[in-house]
Amino acid sequence: MKEAAIWISGAAFAFFATAGAFLLLANLGTGPSERNLTPDPPPAESGPALELTLTQDRLASLRALPGQEFEVGVRNAGDEDLSHVNLTVEVSSENTALSDARYYRENVNELPAGSSVPVRFYLDLSQRESTMDTTSAPPAPEPPRKVIEVRATTPEGESAIKTAIVPL
Amino acid sequence: MRFRARSALKCVALLAATVFLAIGCMHPDRETSIPPLSAAGEQVDPGLGPEAQPLSSGPGYKGSPSWSPHGGRVAFTVDGYVVDKPVGAGRPRRWTTRDFVAEDAEWTSEDSLAILGAASGAVSADETSRSVYRARSGEESLGVREVAKEVLAMSRGPGGEGLIVVFQTGPGESELALLRDNGAVDRIYTSTVGGRITGLSLSPDGRSAALAVRAAGHTFELHTFDLRAGVHRRIAMLDEGLEIFGAPQWTKEGICYVVGKEAATVGGGTAPLYDLYSITPGSGGPQPTPGVGEDFVASSIRVSPDGGRLAVIGRLNPNAPVNLYILDLAAQDLEAVTTNEDMQIKTGPDDLAWSPGGDSVAIVARGALSDEPRVRAAPKRALLADFYNLYEIPVGDRGAAR
Repeated sequence: MKEAAIWISGAAFAFFATAGAFLLLANLGTGPSERNLTPDPPPAESGPALELTLTQDRLASLRALPGQEFEVGVRNAGDEDLSHVNLTVEVSSENTALSDARYYRENVNELPAGSSVPVRFYLDLSQRESTMDTTSAPPAPEPPRKVIEVRATTPEGESAIKTAIVPL
Repeated sequence: MRFRARSALKCVALLAATVFLAIGCMHPDRETSIPPLSAAGEQVDPGLGPEAQPLSSGPGYKGSPSWSPHGGRVAFTVDGYVVDKPVGAGRPRRWTTRDFVAEDAEWTSEDSLAILGAASGAVSADETSRSVYRARSGEESLGVREVAKEVLAMSRGPGGEGLIVVFQTGPGESELALLRDNGAVDRIYTSTVGGRITGLSLSPDGRSAALAVRAAGHTFELHTFDLRAGVHRRIAMLDEGLEIFGAPQWTKEGICYVVGKEAATVGGGTAPLYDLYSITPGSGGPQPTPGVGEDFVASSIRVSPDGGRLAVIGRLNPNAPVNLYILDLAAQDLEAVTTNEDMQIKTGPDDLAWSPGGDSVAIVARGALSDEPRVRAAPKRALLADFYNLYEIPVGDRGAAR
């Protein structure tokens, strides 16, 4: 009788001790709580190395004609020189049913840290004849605006993007 | 001695149990839900209130949202063509070619759409040139099949299956037909309706339809159509100069419809005013819908799946901003579910839709237009308020019968 009591007590003690140890280990290994699972913020402390500037005045002077001068300011805001910057400009209509996108490309060689350079494009903002037929277009409340998307990339992996919505 | 050993064992067991409980209760933090990322992947600044979530992004004149039967996807028109996308993250999927001109799209099953519109070149000023096309997902060619010609209006069929379409059978006559999901004609109702049916919706039990009819002399009438017996009757006739805007909505409390009346001066210009009317079983005739207020200007309405609530896009008065409201029809209680901060909410009759569960409403809106160019630090496909885009407005059980 006495031995049985000792065995039962020992077994109970072993059970509680093992369970407690596992619980302790589980709590120690939990790591960060679910609250900390939000996405990491972008590396904004140092700011983007590449910056694009589109001036409002120049955008306002654009017309729905060929040969429109469009200037993009490109700035190396990083600490290291950039050997090459690829610039791509896509001009399209707000009306996505119109397949009238036009693409322009320019390159900037050697952009030292902290310097900026203006890059000029001559855009054709006229409406293509193939898209002039609006019989198939649904009624929109106003004429579609032009959407000018500017992308800059470098071989080092830096990139920047700006989009202008221009009523013409 | 035996007593001492037993006491020691009891103490050890008690200590172990205490440690066990203490450790078990040590969990440092409660669980918190992680809000989902926005569909657009960009900042969520719709200007419609904190609960609005974008369902689309980027350029394009969007409209006519429609939730899939299970609510996992939403279809809509973009510059005339039809796309759908998952609710939440996911890329749009195109259903028609870009030269298609769609006015409305309705799901007839989880993988098929009925599209009211016209193929390129078939568009004319004559409304009867519209057809109903059927499109299925997974068909790589973006092909649509014309299943009905000279269609004036369409609605999902009883129980969400198939389709009810309205044919124009003569200069002043319309006819209803039930189509199956595959486009085959299930039943044609020989009892024609005098006039052009401009909108229809089913009753909550699916046995009848409410029809807006433009009769001879351009006067508007409201009819009900018994889909079992195939007979219809006129229940209201509007005064000359008034019109029914969109489809009348058959609710549990009666039939609601928007009536256009005289134009009013708003902000230096003129804008038409629309009133919300109801015909309830015991009312004996049309009456202003109770609960919205005398000055309320309704633009478009849609009944909830359970028939007890009405989503209303409108203004509290002619000078108030446009918002989405939920009207509890039984309690006659109107509640705003958007907080419009300089947004333009589309007010077309098909520009709002209930989710199948009745817990959200999709609307279409954009930021106020400007004559000045705007520059954004984001790709065009991620932009929201610069273009008309779809937003999901959670309504929960607001306005539900309490």
